[in-house]
Amino acid sequence: MALKRITKELAEISRDPPSSCSAGPANGSDMFHWQATIMGPSDSPYASGVFFLSIHFPTDYPFKPPKINFTTRIYHPNINHNGSICLDILKDQWSPALTISKVLLSISSMLTDPNPDDPLVPEIAHIYKSDRAKYESTAKEWTRKYASKS
Amino acid sequence: MFRLPDPFAVMTVDGEQTHTTSVMKRTLTPYWNESFIINARSSSVVAIQVFDQKKFKKKGQGFLGVINFQIGQHLNLSVPGEKTIHQELKNSNSAEPVQGRLIVQLDMNINSNQPSVPTRIQPAAQAGPPQRQDVQQAARTDVSTRPSQAPPSVSATPAQTQQFDESLPQGWEQRVDHSGRIYYVDHTKRQTTWRRPTLGSSANGYPANVSEAQRRQHQNRRLPGSDANSGTESTLVNSTLGALPSGWEQRHTPEGRPYFVNHLARTTTWEDPRVRNPSSVSGARAAAIAGIANQTAAQLGPMPSGWEMRLTNQGRVYFVDHNTKTTTWDDPRLPSNLDQNVPQYKRDFRRKYIYFRSQMAMRPLPGQCHVKVRRNEIFGDAFNSIMRLPVTELKKRLMIKFDGEDGLDYGGVSREFFLLVSHDMFNPEYCLFQYSAHDEYTLQINPHSDVNPEHLNYFRFIGRTLGLAIFHRRFLDAFFTTSFYKMILKKPITLEDMQGVDAEMYNSLKWVLDNDVTDMGFTFTVEDDHFGERDEIELKEGGKDIEVTEENKQEFVDLKVRYLICDRVKEQFDAFLSGFHELILPDLIQVFDERELELLIGGLADIDMDDWKKHTDYRGYTESDQVVQWFWKCVKEMDAEHQARLLQFTTGTSRIPVNGFKDLQGSDGPRRFTIEKSGDTVALPKSHTCFNRIDLPPYTEYDTLKNKLTLAIENTVGFGQE
Repeated sequence: MALKRITKELAEISRDPPSSCSAGPANGSDMFHWQATIMGPSDSPYASGVFFLSIHFPTDYPFKPPKINFTTRIYHPNINHNGSICLDILKDQWSPALTISKVLLSISSMLTDPNPDDPLVPEIAHIYKSDRAKYESTAKEWTRKYASKS
Repeated sequence: MFRLPDPFAVMTVDGEQTHTTSVMKRTLTPYWNESFIINARSSSVVAIQVFDQKKFKKKGQGFLGVINFQIGQHLNLSVPGEKTIHQELKNSNSAEPVQGRLIVQLDMNINSNQPSVPTRIQPAAQAGPPQRQDVQQAARTDVSTRPSQAPPSVSATPAQTQQFDESLPQGWEQRVDHSGRIYYVDHTKRQTTWRRPTLGSSANGYPANVSEAQRRQHQNRRLPGSDANSGTESTLVNSTLGALPSGWEQRHTPEGRPYFVNHLARTTTWEDPRVRNPSSVSGARAAAIAGIANQTAAQLGPMPSGWEMRLTNQGRVYFVDHNTKTTTWDDPRLPSNLDQNVPQYKRDFRRKYIYFRSQMAMRPLPGQCHVKVRRNEIFGDAFNSIMRLPVTELKKRLMIKFDGEDGLDYGGVSREFFLLVSHDMFNPEYCLFQYSAHDEYTLQINPHSDVNPEHLNYFRFIGRTLGLAIFHRRFLDAFFTTSFYKMILKKPITLEDMQGVDAEMYNSLKWVLDNDVTDMGFTFTVEDDHFGERDEIELKEGGKDIEVTEENKQEFVDLKVRYLICDRVKEQFDAFLSGFHELILPDLIQVFDERELELLIGGLADIDMDDWKKHTDYRGYTESDQVVQWFWKCVKEMDAEHQARLLQFTTGTSRIPVNGFKDLQGSDGPRRFTIEKSGDTVALPKSHTCFNRIDLPPYTEYDTLKNKLTLAIENTVGFGQE
């Protein structure tokens, strides 16, 4: 059932890819391990960056949420240095109706609008709230350093 | 009147090198299994005397016989070897008859020029006391059921043998009393104690993998309605009679009968010094029975007409029916058959507990069951002993001994044993059990335990050990998912039980029920990852090709829940249950509900209210809000059982993390106890066990809060609050 569902999602995401995201199996043989990319939203300090993520589907997918991590470093209040993402739909708000495509869009919009009230990295959340300019310059700096195409 | 001796043996070599075994209680077939190292020559004569510790103090009494042999008769000291000696006991000087045989094993190591002979005193068959001619194997059971009238002797007399132990703190000395027990003298304070003093806090002789906090928490566990560590009976007596006079101490015999130690006069007595007429045992008994009768009358009402409550010599309550001139252990006020539908008994754990304990099948058999284990090999040793011994043996009074330690098991040693063994049995690294996806302390069977080919034997062992702990009123340091308790009770498993097992799965299955699943592509299958290999398992025949629709989705959810919680661990659970039922009959344990079973297995921890309050979060409330203050007032006024039930209601288990409430875990990492402002003031409080959260409506009166909260925690059945 999980494999059937993942195959279906792959077909959909290839036919109708979400804007500025892409995803597919990391290597041809294992359908349960994907790689995804998110382009930094233009209205955010992550603009022009390309961020890679790894996706692991649990055996019970879609009854259990996929495990998604950033593999590119990013300066964000809800993403820590291991690439772990604090996002409710990846935890208790997951529902079998969600798809990888929808999840990637949510992550993309989280880059534009961080949620500093439920932070994974309290230090970054503090700077985001108290000194927005410093947050933006650091995020831009990290994007240039770690997420540039060159 | 004849009674069983408490034999111990003293060995000397040429009148020197005295070694004393521990005392075996009430047996004609003591098995010491102790080793001593002696230095001997071929001409050395070894004498082993057997004494009855009870009579030993009286001059000319308590001697049970002696054997003498010359080393050279049994061993050739020029070659290493071993020899087992069977020798009839003799009486050395008087004509009094003795009977019995002693078995001693000699192992020899040639040690430079001095041969040393470790002597192992093996099962000494039938060291019978004098005056009795027919001490035979067959007579044993008959004899041992007779109650003993004499109090056990407790002595603190200084001993002849003195031995300085270098590892003791300065000013301390280790001595051995006349009956071979080691005690410690504090020369600085001029005090003696049975407990070995420690050099520093770390050198307490316990392995480091169990923290003191864990041990303390475990040792203090108890059942609702009972005082910490002591039986209900003594509590009742204490509350009736007040504290003991100074210098007096109350202790319990292995059978649980209380006796009193006068440390000033160094005497013991059955008689309670607080009772006016000290010469009359019946006086103390009458006072005790009056106390118990008053207590139980408050809860159960008066005795039916013609009935009377009495105490046996052993301090156990029994009932006399003068109408029919019969006696019974069973309280006539308790229902003989607890009907699940009778609401007033349903929540009354204590009543059920009395009923449970009063059943014939829950009474210890006469005699003792000795189990010796090594601390560092406790899992293997416990497995071997507990699986080897027949159930009839395991139901005798349990006497645990740690190898190389002197502690006699008056409760503390077996408490320690069950603490340590439960840590090993349920250690997720052994792959028999795993933590639920909900948190990091409730346990469930690991569906992939077959990585250990012997796993089913281990599950049977764990079942037996759990039964053994309940039978002998000991607690395990283990807390299970609600569904595991329900499975023991053979209750049906529902979707709500999924919450405590895997919150994400619960949410998804709930979503399936609440939403249109047409064209979602779900089939009647479930996938399992077995060490990287994915299997598709059909939930019903042909399930791979059956689409989940609006019509059949309830069946799909039921089957999936049953598979995930029960079916995939069926083999393991059946093995566990077969072991458990060997000690605890199914219809007896079924009087309890799953919350009560948790308390029966794990006991009730002392709840630190300050710690609880300090590590509580508020949502929509602040700590100073009136309703929050009422909440804490109400919780403080609750008894321990209700506090535990509130915890079960809010967090899913009564377990508190070892380091206190600050380490409380939710389904997604640390989650402190949380009180949220939510709900209408006429509604009951609700709970979200995944997040350790209670939704408390802003009640406007204290009494409303108290009633609603009590109602909520007393009536939770499963997790039907969401």
